[in-house]
Amino acid sequence: MGVVVVQELRDLWLGGRGLLLSIAFSLLLSVTAYLVATNQALNFLEHRETVNLVLQVAIAVGALLALLAAADSISGERERGTLESLLLTPVSRLRITLGKLLGALSLWVVAFLIALPYIWFLGRGVGLVRDALATGIVVGTLLAVFLASLGVLISVFAPSNRVSLSLSLLVLLALFVPTQLPSSAQQGWAGDLLLRANPITAGEHYAGKIVTDGHAWSRDLSWLLSPLVCSVAFAAAALLAGARFVRLGGGVSG
Amino acid sequence: MTAAVEARGVEKRYGSLVGVADLSFEARAGEILGVLGPNGAGKTTAIRVLTTILEPTRGTFAVAGQPHTRPAAIRRRIGVLPESAGYPERQTGEEYLRYHARLYGRSRAGARLLTAALLEEVGLAQRGRSLISTYSRGMRQRLGIARALVNEPRVVFLDEPTLGLDPAGQRQMLGTVRRLARERGATVLLSTHLLAEVEETCSRVLILNRGRVAAQGTVSEVASRAAAPRRGRLRVAAEDADAAILALAAADGVEAACADGQPGLVRFKLARQDSMNAAVAAVVSAGIPLLSSELEGARLSDVFLAMTEAP
Repeated sequence: MGVVVVQELRDLWLGGRGLLLSIAFSLLLSVTAYLVATNQALNFLEHRETVNLVLQVAIAVGALLALLAAADSISGERERGTLESLLLTPVSRLRITLGKLLGALSLWVVAFLIALPYIWFLGRGVGLVRDALATGIVVGTLLAVFLASLGVLISVFAPSNRVSLSLSLLVLLALFVPTQLPSSAQQGWAGDLLLRANPITAGEHYAGKIVTDGHAWSRDLSWLLSPLVCSVAFAAAALLAGARFVRLGGGVSG
Repeated sequence: MTAAVEARGVEKRYGSLVGVADLSFEARAGEILGVLGPNGAGKTTAIRVLTTILEPTRGTFAVAGQPHTRPAAIRRRIGVLPESAGYPERQTGEEYLRYHARLYGRSRAGARLLTAALLEEVGLAQRGRSLISTYSRGMRQRLGIARALVNEPRVVFLDEPTLGLDPAGQRQMLGTVRRLARERGATVLLSTHLLAEVEETCSRVLILNRGRVAAQGTVSEVASRAAAPRRGRLRVAAEDADAAILALAAADGVEAACADGQPGLVRFKLARQDSMNAAVAAVVSAGIPLLSSELEGARLSDVFLAMTEAP
């Protein structure tokens, strides 16, 4: 598995794809941080909300990058004709899948490292840096594991790389839809259930409670349940599917 | 002699579609077995089943002494050049081979040494540090062969290694295959369309048609069993042509000898394949100098067409 991970990291980072995505991510984060720090209208945001906004952008985009890399992992190899050579080695399919999952997650790790100075700069005046970074690590890692596992899962079964990437992005958009609902739709037991069941909205809600509202870690822990369950369940599903269903043709037959 | 590959009633179905059916054959240790068949005959499916990429629907097989129920053990002992294999464009040939050597458990230093030796063996030592994206088709195929050898396999499967190569590249590739069997003592299963070269390279052939074994054995065994029509052709001096026709007409097993349009060329039908010897003997014993002789219908290409062409 170590050899596969190292090669995945080499392909991703020395091949230039990871570097390119990271540069784009840091540009996006720079623009966001600049706007929230200088823009007149956005300046009305309370300081804590500013840090929370940048943190949420870092988590969402960092996890998105992990999803994109994961969605390309198996279907991409299949399409480039390199999967057969890999499957012909004595390395188990479980190890191949795990290596690819960890490789994809490296994008989240780098994205978080890039976000560190931004969060430090914006949060240093209000003593928020430690809480914001700790929240970012926990929530961001859970969401990145969930989304990267989802990407691998889709990639295992997708008949083509295009389908894998499109389907992954579609699912991600569907998961973000509740964040755009009017606040009235988020009220009541149905709205609450929707927000709690969706790992993206639950994770961002939890981060917001800590960073913006200054809640203690333990107070809103129930909001972490969905991200935790989804990350563990989807990681297990991705690895099991990889071990059982990674094959030359996409899909479950054959 | 020990069988390096042994298949018994192997079948692979995709729903109602038959990939291969009742595939039974043996490949002996150290031999080059040519796997022939028209497009869609099941050659690639057979190779993918035997290399554990596809699970058989039915039947059993063993490769390098390992039963099909132990796919990882088989994979450790085989080398494969898949049909239309892809290569990571952003890696160099060296990096690609080192990675695969590491996947087979080689240490970093061991992988480096092995990579250098393999690149030398397939004639890519000068281009090992170039990106694979800059390699020609022939260079990629040679890199693929080097990759198939990283684990010092006992059995090597080469699926259309000459596909897309020019005649010089094809000849070079077949030379590499022969060297592989001779110097490494590996059993080679070679799937190809180059029938003339198979006759020169392979000790035995397996002809597949529509997923089933149409024939197997040495080239001459297969040729003798085939129902290909037999004809002979002799070239003598133009003034000896009539005498040669008379001599052939009197020979045992020779029918309908006649001139073939060109001066000195005589064509005739043979009742049996071994009648060619009698035909040649008849002409020689009539005191006619023989310039050349050719038996038509006994080449592998004739047999292949006779066995695989739709009725």
